[in-house]
Amino acid sequence: MKSLLLAESMKIAKQSKTYYALGAIFLIELLILITAYYQGSTILDLLLDNLKQSFYFEGDLLNGNLIMYIVLNSLWFNVPLILMIVTSGVLTDEYKDGTLQTVMLQAVKKWKFMLAKYVIAVCFTLFVIIFMMISTCVLAYSLFGKGDLVVYLNTLNFFETYDAFHRICLAFASGAIAMVFYCTVSITLAVVIKEAAKTWIASALFLVITNLLLKVDFGLKVVNDYFFPKLIDTWQQLFYYETDWPHILSNNMVLIAYSIALMILGIVVFHKKDIG
Amino acid sequence: MIRLVFILFLFVAQMGAAQSIDADLLQIKERMDGVKQFSATITLNLEVPFINMPTKSAKVNYAQGKKMMFSSSDFVMLPKRGLDFSLSEIFKYPFITVDRGFETRNGKSLKVINVIPTDKRSELALATLYMDVKAKRMVESEINTRKEGSYTLFMQYASVKDILPSYVEATFAIERLKIPLNFMGKDTKIDRKKMRSMETKTGKIKMQITDYDIMYK
Repeated sequence: MKSLLLAESMKIAKQSKTYYALGAIFLIELLILITAYYQGSTILDLLLDNLKQSFYFEGDLLNGNLIMYIVLNSLWFNVPLILMIVTSGVLTDEYKDGTLQTVMLQAVKKWKFMLAKYVIAVCFTLFVIIFMMISTCVLAYSLFGKGDLVVYLNTLNFFETYDAFHRICLAFASGAIAMVFYCTVSITLAVVIKEAAKTWIASALFLVITNLLLKVDFGLKVVNDYFFPKLIDTWQQLFYYETDWPHILSNNMVLIAYSIALMILGIVVFHKKDIG
Repeated sequence: MIRLVFILFLFVAQMGAAQSIDADLLQIKERMDGVKQFSATITLNLEVPFINMPTKSAKVNYAQGKKMMFSSSDFVMLPKRGLDFSLSEIFKYPFITVDRGFETRNGKSLKVINVIPTDKRSELALATLYMDVKAKRMVESEINTRKEGSYTLFMQYASVKDILPSYVEATFAIERLKIPLNFMGKDTKIDRKKMRSMETKTGKIKMQITDYDIMYK
C-alpha cells in the first residue's frame, strides 16, 4: 500500500495539471485582492449606506478578515471545479494512457490501487485548501491589515478580529471537508465514465445541481438536514451570529460519511469492472 | 377702550414671556459651558433588529467649539445624534421655548419645555426637553429634525453633582438595509413580507460612559 501511495503522490506531483490548478487558485485570490483594493470601499459604502445616515463609523471594515471571507466564497464553485478536474484526472489519465492495464498486470490488488488514488486525491485537496488559506492569509493581512469582519446572512453580523480569524480558520477546515466530498464524487464519476472530458462535464453538472438543490426546500426535515446539497454550506454557518456548533459538527460528520460511502462505492464499482 | 388696551397689554406680555428662552435651560447651558474639555471611555451596546454587534468601546475627546472626536482599536458605530452634551446643536440658531409644566419620570419631577427654532437654517424642527431643575441637568429629550428623523435620549448620572452623564440611551428610527443580492450568503432567504414589515425599525444604542477626565473653565 505504501508503494502505491508513493507512486500516486509522484504522479500527482509530476503532472502539469497540479500546478495549473494551484496557479488558477492563486490567480483567483489575486483577482479578489485587486478588486477589493480598488472597489472594496465603494462596495462597503453601498452595503452600509443606510447605516451611515445614523452612525459615524470608526475603523475600517475593508481588512484582511473580509478578504479572507470573500476568498472563502470561492469554495462555492471555482475551487471545487478546479479540484474535481484535477482529481478525476488521477484515474481518467490512466484510462487514456493505457497505463491502467500495465499496473493491473502487476501484483496489485484492485481495491488497494483504487484506495490509494482516493487517499492521494484527498491529500491533494487538503493541500490545496491549506495552500489557499496560507497564501490568502499572508497576502490579505499584509495588504489590508486586521479588523472586524462584517458578513450579511439575513442580518448584518459583526465579528471582532480574533473571533473572525478563529471562525475563518474553522470555515476553511469545514470547507476542506466539502472539497473532499466533491473530490471523492469526481473520482467515483471517473470510475464509471472513464473518459476525462465526459467526467469533467459530469462533475461540473454535479456541482451546479448541488448548488441549485441547496436552496430547494424538500419538505421533509430529514432530507433538508442530511441530503448532501444541504451540507455543503456548513462552512458559511460559522458566520451566523448565533452559531449552532453541534449542528455544524454533525453536518461535517455526515459529509465525511458521504465521502467514505462514495469511496467505498467507487472501489466496489472499480473492483467489479473489467479493465479495458 | 381701557378694557381693550388692558387685554392687548396682557396678550403682548404673554407673547413676550412665551418667546423668551427658558431660564432653567439657560442655567443648564451655562453649567455645560463650564466644561472646557473632557475625555472619557464609552462602552457601546447596539440594539438594532437586523444588526448583530458585540459590545464595543471607544475613547471620546471633546473640546469646546470643536467636533467630538472618537478613537477605537475596533470598528465602532457611534450615533450621529445623542452625544451633543454641550447643547450646541440647540443653541446654534435662535429659538423660542414653551413651558409645558412638570412631569414625573422615575420618581423625579422634571420640567418639560418645547424648543422651537425660529431660524430656517436650523436642522432642528422641534425638541422636547425634560430637565432636572434642581440638579441643573438634562434627563431626557425628544428631538425631531428636519432631515434626519427623530430620536430620543435618556440620560443617567453617577452622582447628584455630575453634569456629564454616565449612561446615555439613544433611540432612533432606522431604515431597513437594502442589500444588493450578490452580497447575500448562498442560503440567505428573502422573505419579502418580512422585509416590507421591516421598512423602518427602531434602533437603540446604550452607552456607558466612564473614566471622565474633565477640564473646567
